[in-house]
Amino acid sequence: MQGPGIAWYLGISAFLFGTGALGVLLRRNPIIVLLSLEIMLNGGNLALIAFARHAGNGAGQIFALAVMAVAASEVCVGLGLVVAINRRRLALDVDKLSELRG
Amino acid sequence: MILASAGNILVWIVWVGAGFACLASGVAVVSFRNPFYSALALIGNLGSLAVLYLLLSAEFVAAAQVLVYAGAVMVMFLFVIAYVGPRTETPWAGGPNWQSIAAVLAAGSIFLEIIVAVALNAGGRLSHTDHVNATFGTPGWIGRLFLTDHLLAFEITSIVLLIAAVGGVILGSHTKRAA
Amino acid sequence: MRDGAWLCLFAPLVGTVVILLGGTRISRRAAGWISIASVFAAFGGAIWAFFALRASNDRAGITYTAWTWLQSGTFKVGLSVLVDPLSTMMMLIVAGVGGLIVLYSIGYMDGDDEERRYFAYMSLFVFSMLLLVQGGNLLILLGGWGLVGLSSYLLIGFWHDRPSAVAAAKKAFIMNAVGDATMALAFFVLIFHGHSLDFGTSFATAGQLSPTAVNLVALGLLGGAAAKSAQIPLHTWLPDAMEGPTPVSALIHAATMVTAGVYLIARTHPIFEQARTVELIAAGMGALTLLVAGLIALVQTDIKRVIAYSTMSQIGYMFLGAGVGAYANGMFHLMTHAFFKALLFMAAGLVIHALSGEQDIRKMRGIGALMPWTKWAFLAGSLALVGVPPFAGFFSKDAIIAAALHDHWYGVVLAGAGLVGAFLTGVYTFRLYFLVFPGEPSAFVREHHHAHHGQEGPPTMLVPVGVLAVLAVIGGWLQFSPFWHPLTTWLAPVVQTLGVAEPTNTQEAIASVLAVLLGLAGIGVAYALYGRGEASLAVPRLPVVQQALEHKLYFDEAYDALFYRPVAAFASWLRRDFEEPVILATGPDLGEGALELGQGASRLQTGLLRTYVLFLGTGVAIVGIVFLAVR
Repeated sequence: MQGPGIAWYLGISAFLFGTGALGVLLRRNPIIVLLSLEIMLNGGNLALIAFARHAGNGAGQIFALAVMAVAASEVCVGLGLVVAINRRRLALDVDKLSELRG
Repeated sequence: MILASAGNILVWIVWVGAGFACLASGVAVVSFRNPFYSALALIGNLGSLAVLYLLLSAEFVAAAQVLVYAGAVMVMFLFVIAYVGPRTETPWAGGPNWQSIAAVLAAGSIFLEIIVAVALNAGGRLSHTDHVNATFGTPGWIGRLFLTDHLLAFEITSIVLLIAAVGGVILGSHTKRAA
Repeated sequence: MRDGAWLCLFAPLVGTVVILLGGTRISRRAAGWISIASVFAAFGGAIWAFFALRASNDRAGITYTAWTWLQSGTFKVGLSVLVDPLSTMMMLIVAGVGGLIVLYSIGYMDGDDEERRYFAYMSLFVFSMLLLVQGGNLLILLGGWGLVGLSSYLLIGFWHDRPSAVAAAKKAFIMNAVGDATMALAFFVLIFHGHSLDFGTSFATAGQLSPTAVNLVALGLLGGAAAKSAQIPLHTWLPDAMEGPTPVSALIHAATMVTAGVYLIARTHPIFEQARTVELIAAGMGALTLLVAGLIALVQTDIKRVIAYSTMSQIGYMFLGAGVGAYANGMFHLMTHAFFKALLFMAAGLVIHALSGEQDIRKMRGIGALMPWTKWAFLAGSLALVGVPPFAGFFSKDAIIAAALHDHWYGVVLAGAGLVGAFLTGVYTFRLYFLVFPGEPSAFVREHHHAHHGQEGPPTMLVPVGVLAVLAVIGGWLQFSPFWHPLTTWLAPVVQTLGVAEPTNTQEAIASVLAVLLGLAGIGVAYALYGRGEASLAVPRLPVVQQALEHKLYFDEAYDALFYRPVAAFASWLRRDFEEPVILATGPDLGEGALELGQGASRLQTGLLRTYVLFLGTGVAIVGIVFLAVR
């Protein structure tokens, strides 16, 4: 394999995952939270594909495709929720959506 | 030999470019104030990731990444952002201060743990990479895998997608009770 | 043979199920006849099995296993029945006498509100008893043993609106449970050492056990036998059990259930022979019981209680016989006793029925003038009980005394107790007879006696009494040692009489003559004291002795002081010094603590998505550190 080794790809993957996690933890706009989640998932995907290349095995790529499908599902439901929240004239702020407080 | 090392340098250049774009756009997604710009940055992130996938000989996944993600999913995102309209938001949302600090600590420690774990193995198991033949990562090869070894995963994924689609429609549709 | 055995076992169960499922859809009378049909079907099965066994060459018995009932490793128990001379004899007695008694119940229970329940229980009892005697291994035997206890509980407490009946039922059940527990413990020892409860394997196991272990097993079995057969010290439930309907007393507390202990000793005699000391304890227990019960019977005033104590006394004879090793003689007495004691109970039942439930013998004087047939039947039963030749008791009781006489010095002591018992039997039996039947009817009798359509009872009651009266007269002719002994020969393949219990002809003669003379002397004493119609009731004129006997030698009071009072005191101490200060005080504190804990935990539930994600992320980070640390 030409170019950098697997470890470098994994480093990018880790950085993406950490950045995404920070976004999920800190942002209040649900749309941005969803976008940050996508970053996390993509970080995971990159690691999967890097490992697939490392092991010469197709399972990692299959897994990455499944993650994509799940991400699409999650976006579908998440955006549905955003639309529903917006229709009720509620604030688009995850800190104010706290009806489930114990 | 010279040709090979020239190719190698070319790959390094592409990698550095794509990787930098990837990191920069990731940070941009998280930090932009306006969700619209965040979404655009995510498109860039996805595209640069597709380049990395190509370098890892995952041709089909790279194509799917661009088509499905950057194409379909991001269009949906942009549509919803336009539908919701501009909303004012403070980018680094408040809440109690300790929570922000804890969030940075948690995310940072996860990142550092992964880096440490990778670095510990970088000179060992991760330094060696299997040789693969030309069919690795081609659509035909992936399709055969999906219909043979991973048929069950494939079917279950399709059902998950279907359920999510139905759920999204129900969430987004008008109901009398909603008002 | 096999079909007969299964028919015999399950016919009464089918009867029970049909009556219970039928409920009010079948009439009370139909319920009674279903019960009778089922028990007589069982009797038919018993006869079938008997003749098949006679015709077959394999006299040692055959075990039929329907299926493996439970299995645990190498330990395996099947639902199996055993057909051998001993079990067929018991099947014939249980189903035969049981059938007559159920027939008698039709008349006796006529008009009771809950006849159906009564007949369902009667069939259930017969089934349980047949399961006990037919069981092909010790576990099935124990199952029958427990079911017999249950059905006797149900029948004693049949009139559940009487507090005394309920108390008596509980007493019987608890006393029997003590015996069941000791039996189960004995079985555990057998399972531990032999991994089996089959008769053959268990007996072989007993032969290899240490003397301590085999003594423990035998003691456990003896505990069960004593509880079921109402031997001292587990006897106090039997007199109280007379609270049940009279046919129940006849069936359970005279003819069948209380003799189960004798059957158990005969059935497991190889174990008892390994533990000869325990076997002699059984004989001594029998001797003690027959004396004590005979003495107490002298002062009782309830007609059924007198007969109940007589039953205890007669079972004492059976224990004595089985204990010294004369199993066949014990079983023979069991059979004749089933005839004449059921007869006495049912004749007494006729009197009670005619006097609308009155049971006090002081009020019954002269009833014989109004009920001559009952009088003759009762007299036949009494003579059989005392052992006057040629009535049944003579042949069986004297054989037991003679068998004891042969066995060392203690045998002589036991035989002496038996002879004294014979005298007491004469006294208490004819005290009862002379007080109740002869003479001019008393005012109470004239006032309360009501004839049943001009007869002494309905035909369903008179027929069984008649049949049993005949059996009480001729039933003993089956065996007259030493001249002919078909019963001993019949039982020999299963239970061989021990050599020490084979009396010489001289000893037989001495025992018979002495027993008969003492019995007749007892009758004479009874006549002298009660025959002239004086109202004095107790034989001992000493007030102290009389009072002690009327309190049944203070057994109930002793148990009360020994077991009930300490436990009750301990329980009330626990309530005062532990329950109230500790449990009741800490309860509210615990509740408040849990409430506060819950409220504190609920504050973690902020409803804020980001807090939850933070917890999640922190958890992942910690798990990652742990993984890195332990790699």
